[in-house]
Amino acid sequence: MERATKLQPDEQRVADMFAIAEHRDQAALGRLFDHYVPKVRSFCLAAQPGSNLMADDIAQEVMIRIWNKAHTYKPESASLNTWVFTLARNARIDYLRKNSRHQSDIDPEYLWQHVVDENADPFKDALQKRDKERIEHGLSKLPQDQKQVLAKVYLEGKTHKEAAEELSLPLGTIKSRVRLALHKLTIYVKR
Amino acid sequence: MINYHPSIEILTDYAAGSLPLAHSLCVSTHLEHCSECQQQIRKLELLGSQFFEQTNTDNQCFGDLKDSFFANLSEQSATALDNDAAHAIAPNTTDSSWDDYKVPSSLRQFITKGYDELTWMRLSPSFKIATLYNQEGGAQVALTRIKAGAHMPTHTHTGDEITLVLEGAFSDESGVYRQGDFISRDASHKHKPMVTKDAECICLTVLDAPIEFTGWLTRLLNPLIRRYHPQT
Repeated sequence: MERATKLQPDEQRVADMFAIAEHRDQAALGRLFDHYVPKVRSFCLAAQPGSNLMADDIAQEVMIRIWNKAHTYKPESASLNTWVFTLARNARIDYLRKNSRHQSDIDPEYLWQHVVDENADPFKDALQKRDKERIEHGLSKLPQDQKQVLAKVYLEGKTHKEAAEELSLPLGTIKSRVRLALHKLTIYVKR
Repeated sequence: MINYHPSIEILTDYAAGSLPLAHSLCVSTHLEHCSECQQQIRKLELLGSQFFEQTNTDNQCFGDLKDSFFANLSEQSATALDNDAAHAIAPNTTDSSWDDYKVPSSLRQFITKGYDELTWMRLSPSFKIATLYNQEGGAQVALTRIKAGAHMPTHTHTGDEITLVLEGAFSDESGVYRQGDFISRDASHKHKPMVTKDAECICLTVLDAPIEFTGWLTRLLNPLIRRYHPQT
C-alpha cells in the first residue's frame, strides 16, 4: 500500500476502481463509499429535503452500481466524478420513477447508456481535461444568479419551468441566464 | 446530416435528469444519430459533476450505513447482476431482421424485433399509429407510420409535441426533416406534413395532449384519437 499512498486522491480513486474491477477489492469499495456516499446523499437531499431514507437508498444503490459496473468505467472517456454523477442522477431518476413521481414505465437504463461513446479517439483524454478545466474555471467566475439557476437544475432536479416558478421569474429570464452561463462555460455554441 | 436538434434547455434538463422520461426518450434517440449533441451532453454532464463534487457534505460519517451496506453486499450484488442481465440489450444487428430497419437502442425496451410487431391502428389508408406507452395523466408516446408521398391530414396540437424521425423523411411549411431530426412544436402550431416520395416515414412522437385534425372530414377521427390519449 506504500505505493498507493503517493497517489493524488483522484488517482487513488481511479486505482480503487481498477482494484474493484480486477480483484473485487472490498477495501477499495470502502474508500469510495467514504468519499461518494456523503456526496450522493447531499445530491438527493437537495432535490428532496428531509428524505433521509431515500438518500440512504439511492446512495447504496449507487455503491452497488459502482461495484457491479467498475469494469465498464473508462478513465479516458470521463472523469470518475462525472461517471459517478451520472450513476447518481440515473439512480435518482429510477427511484423517483418507481416511487411514482414520474409514474412511468419507461426504463431509464435504456436512455443514457449510449452517451458513453465508444469511438476510439486518441485526443479524447486531452479534450476531456481541457473541457474540465474550462468548466471548472468558468464556474468559479460565474455571477451568482446564473450559478443559482444551474444549481436548481442540476442539484435540485428542477426543469427550467419549475426553476422559473420557484424563483418567481419569467421563464425567459431563466432561459437566458442558463444560455449565458453555458456560453461562458463554452458548453453552448449557437448553431 | 442532422439539421434539427433539441434546444439547449432540453439538453440541459436531460443531462441533469430533470426532463420527463417521455421527452428523454426522444432526446436519447436523437443522440444515437447526433455526435454534435453527444458532445454537448458530455460537457453538460461534466458541469453536473462539478455541482455534484461541490455539494456540502460537512465531513459526515455514515458508519452504520456502511456496515449494513457491506453486510448486504453479496446478497444484493447477486440480484443486481440479475437485473443487469435483464437490462442487457441485444446488439443492434441480431434481432431486428423482421424488416430492414434498425430499431434504436432507446426503443428496445418496447420493440424487440422490429416495427412490424407493434399493434398499428390505421387512421387513414396511408397513416397508422402505434402507442408505445401512455404516461398516466401525462404524455402519449407513439410511433406514426405514413406511406411514401402521403399527406398527413392538417392538424393542430392541443399541447406540446416532439417528433423524432426514425426512418424516411417528411416536410412541412417550415422545412424538410430527415432521420435523427428532432422537431418540437407547441400548441399554436398548425401544420400539414407530407412524406417524401421515395420511402415511408416512421416517427417517434410524444404528445402532451391529443392532436386535433382540422379538415372537415378528418375531424371525425378526433374522438378516436382522444380515446387513446392518457389525458382524456
